Amino acid sequence: MILQTLENVTTTHVADRTGWTAKAEGMCRGEICVPAPGALRDNGTVDINVMANRLGMPLVHDDNTGVWALGPATATGRALSTAAAADPEFIDRSGHPFRLSSLRGRKVLLVAWSSY
Amino acid sequence: MDVNPEHAHPFIDAAAPTHPSLIDTSHATGDLFGFVNIPMAVWIDEDGNLVRPAEAASIERSPMRDMDIPDGLPERLDRAFREIKKFPEVANEYRAAIVDWAHNGAASKFALSPDEVVQRSQPRPDTHARAAACFEMGQHLLRTVGHDAAVPYWREAHALFPENWTYKRQAWTLITTPADATENDLMQGPNDVYEGNWLDDVIAGGGGESYSVVPQL
Repeated sequence: MILQTLENVTTTHVADRTGWTAKAEGMCRGEICVPAPGALRDNGTVDINVMANRLGMPLVHDDNTGVWALGPATATGRALSTAAAADPEFIDRSGHPFRLSSLRGRKVLLVAWSSY
Repeated sequence: MDVNPEHAHPFIDAAAPTHPSLIDTSHATGDLFGFVNIPMAVWIDEDGNLVRPAEAASIERSPMRDMDIPDGLPERLDRAFREIKKFPEVANEYRAAIVDWAHNGAASKFALSPDEVVQRSQPRPDTHARAAACFEMGQHLLRTVGHDAAVPYWREAHALFPENWTYKRQAWTLITTPADATENDLMQGPNDVYEGNWLDDVIAGGGGESYSVVPQL
């Protein structure tokens, strides 16, 4: 997840890219919640440092541009923390946004391919 | 999974699929599902739950496995073909498993429980997570600053997570494919920018036998 700043990052933005939602009970994804006191701020934004620390997410900073990259969680030691499928926003051939959640009610075989 | 959607378009157009064909320009599916090479797949049930984690997803036996390697090929091309012929071959079994799940859903013996899905997903130590952050930073800088700004981060990603072939192949192809080429250079050979290249890294990683995440069916 690319961040121009660690301030004023909304819960929606974090959830969209990482799959983790900041709630009063902690950082939650699917059926699991990891206690993270202070991660959800009173104004509805996420304290990225608290979240990153609790979920074991690395933060990489580029000094030339001031940009941050937040890596994925390592809290469970596996790529998946839950079987609930993440729902990132893709684009289709025409450039229109597309989410896997639009296919609910059908089985989905998500195959990764590339030109390289 | 392509940093530039234009690279994916010719393949989509040629296949003219009837199913959704989506482009992941940030390699987010690597972070979110555990894809480390292509082709890999996950299975998602009607409720949006994964029933199989990321694993190699070939559904047809590659003709390259059965072809005779011609005499007189350049040494590296000859060796590349020999490594490709070592790739684990479970395409028929994997295709049959997909069909079984399509017919039987949760009753299919190939549909895993939530706990099994998590436990069988790719390992993610701190080094892999940092590699993911570095790779994403590289993609961002490629778009916003230029290719040279991306290289140090991609080099670090390769060093931290050498088993991740999408990180390597995406980076290598931008180096080894000429700008005016109509097809990507799939050999991705030695170059002056990155320490690794496809053939030598395959051999260093244990050979073609170790190149993919074999489905445990």
